Amino acid sequence: MKKLKLKTQLALFNALSKAIIISFIVLIVPWLVSNITMHDTDDLLIQKLDKVTLLIDSLGIDNYINIDAELKSYGSYNILKDEFISIEQISNDTLIDIIQYSQREIENEIVDYRVLSYSIKENGNNYLIEIGKSISTIYRFEQNLKQFSLIFLLIIVSLTIILDLSVIQYLLFPLEKIVKKLKTTNHPTTYNYTPIKTSTSDFIYLDETIRSLMHKIESIFIDERNYISNVSHELLTPVSIIQSKLENIINESSLSENDMIKIYESKKTLRRLTNLVRTLLMMSRIENKEYILTEKVNINIVLKNVCEEIEDKISAKELDLKIDFDTSDFYYYGNENLLFTLFYNFINNSIRYTDKGFIKIETHKSKYYFTVKISDTGIGIKKEKIPHIFSRYNNSNVKKDSYGLGLSLSKKICDYHNIKIDVFSEPNKGSNFILKFPLK
Amino acid sequence: MRILIVEDEKYLATEIKQFLEKEEYNCDLALTGTDASELIAINPYDFILLDIGLPDYNGLDLIKEAKDYNSEAYFIVITARGEIEDKIKGFDLGADDYIPKPFSLFELLSRIQAITRRKFNYKSSVIQFDKFSLDTIKKHLQYDGQTINLTKKEYKLLSYLILNKNRLLDRMQLTEHIWGEFFEDDYDSNYIDVHIKNIRKKLSKFNNTQWIKTVRGVGYKFEI
Repeated sequence: MKKLKLKTQLALFNALSKAIIISFIVLIVPWLVSNITMHDTDDLLIQKLDKVTLLIDSLGIDNYINIDAELKSYGSYNILKDEFISIEQISNDTLIDIIQYSQREIENEIVDYRVLSYSIKENGNNYLIEIGKSISTIYRFEQNLKQFSLIFLLIIVSLTIILDLSVIQYLLFPLEKIVKKLKTTNHPTTYNYTPIKTSTSDFIYLDETIRSLMHKIESIFIDERNYISNVSHELLTPVSIIQSKLENIINESSLSENDMIKIYESKKTLRRLTNLVRTLLMMSRIENKEYILTEKVNINIVLKNVCEEIEDKISAKELDLKIDFDTSDFYYYGNENLLFTLFYNFINNSIRYTDKGFIKIETHKSKYYFTVKISDTGIGIKKEKIPHIFSRYNNSNVKKDSYGLGLSLSKKICDYHNIKIDVFSEPNKGSNFILKFPLK
Repeated sequence: MRILIVEDEKYLATEIKQFLEKEEYNCDLALTGTDASELIAINPYDFILLDIGLPDYNGLDLIKEAKDYNSEAYFIVITARGEIEDKIKGFDLGADDYIPKPFSLFELLSRIQAITRRKFNYKSSVIQFDKFSLDTIKKHLQYDGQTINLTKKEYKLLSYLILNKNRLLDRMQLTEHIWGEFFEDDYDSNYIDVHIKNIRKKLSKFNNTQWIKTVRGVGYKFEI
């Protein structure tokens, strides 16, 4: 599901709730208004009826209806046919008292009326009084009201939505700034510590908390880095002293061949120690995320450089170097030195364990990955040992002078760069190391 | 040639001094940044070897200071911290080279010589033996005006041996010189031997003298 910004969510919710309320009002108001007017009309009709019955009582029914006439009825309406009144004699004596809609024909024109029918008994005869009021005006009013309220409300809604949006935008601006700051920070040392300008206490609190957390992370990070570089200094300086002393001994005195070899052996031991310290330091630095992955690295070029660096090792062992690179270049954001070390370690490792045949380096771009494949015809790795080759001090085929650290350093570099490693190997046939760079 | 060695580790500083004095360099020692700062202010130096991991001073500040009093001096930065940032900052401030601890004294010497050749004296940049001439600026070897086809690494190896002529260089020093500070743990293998074999073959086409002597179990020596 797509994740929405808080701002958008608020605006959407606002618009939706308003739309619901508005459509409800648009539906209910005309109905309500027409009901009220109808009720008013009915009241009016009843008042008029009261007047008429009062008149009949005081003046007598004869005043309206001529008893001798054949058509015993009375009728009156105004010019606009808005209202009419009629009295007629009826034969049955059922009591009538209703108000209803009814169409009447007056002077060949059919008009919609609200009609009050009421029966009275006068001088032994039954009469029906009907008072009507035209409702075409009511209808028209209702129609107009509907249209008007719709337009009016639409305007109101759009205005309030615009207003809401700008208010939300204004209120949430500090939050957006905080989010932006966090997004652009990939390292605590690069965090922008200037406080955010806002009058909302929650945001001030949020900003302050993030800032203080960042400070803490940064200081832990710096402590760690200082610790690593101090340890490095403490360990490598004594090594440096011993090495210089040994070199001065060789340089200044004429030693016997045997002594010379002994001193050389000691120097080699020192070198082992140095390599060990350097590799461990590099791993700590990766763990501590000290390398910044912002260099745009051309993978084919780095591989070419590694090959150049290493080709004489390959020719010294009389191996073939086969290269098959994808024709299009591939760029990956990372640290060029680390990637160089990564390829170097893998290729160097292949050379180390291959005594005849070839080393092959291929790159290939597919739909999801850029793949670097390093294959050899070396001694291979037993199947059950493959899962352990990347763990420290757990090298499956340890040769002398190998500390099992090279591959675990490579694994660290891969994890740090989000590169997947696949290993296929068959003892005595060779190994394939496949590095997959995601295309993002 | 006057060199100031700024190194807080006394034993290392004296070893460097001893080695360089044997090479007839005039060396002063500063064991603290404060001492170094004073020495820089009153003496003219050609080279300043600076360990930037000083306890009392930010080594990089010292470069800035020295540029005021000893603007002609060349800097070689020494560090055990191995931080890439330090390296970059050092070069930005005008360091001429960078060498990580632990280093070989021969390597240090060759860096000093390289800078000297590059910046002081162009005549000494060509080294003659027999009819061979090694041009360290153009980085090639010629015999009687004819260029000998050496690979990059062969050239590096041969020039290192020639510049340290009559002196034993062990396999490790040679490996370090041509491969730098890679995470190399197979320097004992025969890569150097293969290179030497190839170089000998190429030289013997012109002159059959065995210039490169093998020192059994240790390394090689270029004898003139």
